[in-house]
Amino acid sequence: MGETPVAASDAIDEPPRARRFSINAALDAFFFVFAGVASVWLAWLVLTESFGFGWWGIAFFVVFWLVLAYLVLPRLHRILTTIYVPDYFIGRTRTSDGLLGDPVNLALDGPETSVHAAMLAAGWTRADDVTLASSWRIVTSTLTRKSYDEAPVSPLFLFGRQQDFAYQQEVEGNPAKRHHVRFWRTPDGWLLPGGRRVDWLAAGTFDRAVGFSLFTLQVTHKIDADTDVERDHIIATVVGTSPRARVDVLADFSTGYHSRNGGGDSIRTDGDLPVIDVSDVAAAPVAPSPGGGS
Amino acid sequence: MSVEKRAAFEPPAELVRPVEAPPDMKRPAATVSGAVLVVLRVIAGIVWLVALAAQWDQVLADDGGIDPESAEGIASYGVLAIILVFGAVVLLAQLLLAFAVYRGSNAARLTLMIFATLSIVISWFDYAAGQEITIRTTLVTLALDILVLLALSSRAARAYARRPRR
Repeated sequence: MGETPVAASDAIDEPPRARRFSINAALDAFFFVFAGVASVWLAWLVLTESFGFGWWGIAFFVVFWLVLAYLVLPRLHRILTTIYVPDYFIGRTRTSDGLLGDPVNLALDGPETSVHAAMLAAGWTRADDVTLASSWRIVTSTLTRKSYDEAPVSPLFLFGRQQDFAYQQEVEGNPAKRHHVRFWRTPDGWLLPGGRRVDWLAAGTFDRAVGFSLFTLQVTHKIDADTDVERDHIIATVVGTSPRARVDVLADFSTGYHSRNGGGDSIRTDGDLPVIDVSDVAAAPVAPSPGGGS
Repeated sequence: MSVEKRAAFEPPAELVRPVEAPPDMKRPAATVSGAVLVVLRVIAGIVWLVALAAQWDQVLADDGGIDPESAEGIASYGVLAIILVFGAVVLLAQLLLAFAVYRGSNAARLTLMIFATLSIVISWFDYAAGQEITIRTTLVTLALDILVLLALSSRAARAYARRPRR
């Protein structure tokens, strides 16, 4: 309708916007949802099959759990959260399934090189990206009980993007426990609620154990509920080693966030959002890795 | 400038929003596993065709009540040949499409998803009509179809296939 010359003037009045609909995309959406429904059926078939094989049925039950936890529930969450989770900044990251993830509890100012310099100086190790090679190394290091300080962290999303990089500290060579913090560069000209401009947002949490996610039943790290402890630990290590870093606290930025992260763990916080200014920290020429000794 | 009241949920059209991906996106695991699963599906199809050919006399007797020695039975080998040739062509096409998906073709991805969807729907009608789906019958091929569909419809595979080309 209305594909007349009038459309041209309409187009001028409307704000320019990206193409939001195409046949191709509609097909994709259909297949996305259809595959989700079909996977539910598959899980059901595998479950009923597991009753027909005696003790071998246990193997089928494991397959059923794998299908449910790693295929069905993520896909269903992805479909539902696309609709019910708002896609603007609410102080929370999102998991790859769209669920609410770790809280944003730290902000930084300064160029990327200074952030790296400050974190490396503070004894943090940059996490590898998730690749086939690093995934394989997780498996082997778990089996051989060797430590893997640069183990990748799972992707979390802010501004619709995966973290730009992440840092972590192992605890006593225990792979189940670790400090970790993810960083996102804020979009150009983007302001925090309240109007403050920061260059980086970060979400720091402490992995205390390995367990099952409440929402997807996947094996995952459980985080410590008191996210303030980890936030203050990050600040203490950075300020302790980089005296030129300045800390400014946005008090009560998110007071009253007492919720769950993407794995279903409870979160408590006093709501302060510290902003660390690392722009004066000298960007060291890629410092040699502090190594596992720290 | 008036601002419209915002709903408490995102519009379902978000599911239809094209995903943006950088042109230098690396091939995601979903695309690789999708292509590999299609190859496995082709292998399952070959096994099925070979089994059909090997048991053709049995199939004739059970389903059609035809004696393989009769003139009708001998003529049926023509039907078997047509089925085998047709099946081989479809499987070969799927193999080529799997390679195209691996290379990042979006048309091949959509075609394979249509194949998988049709196959799943047909299995569903059979299931609803009372045919059992177990590991000994068609569970393996059905599972492969569903896994192919899951892998190829994932956001990563979609983004990779639809990434802007330089």
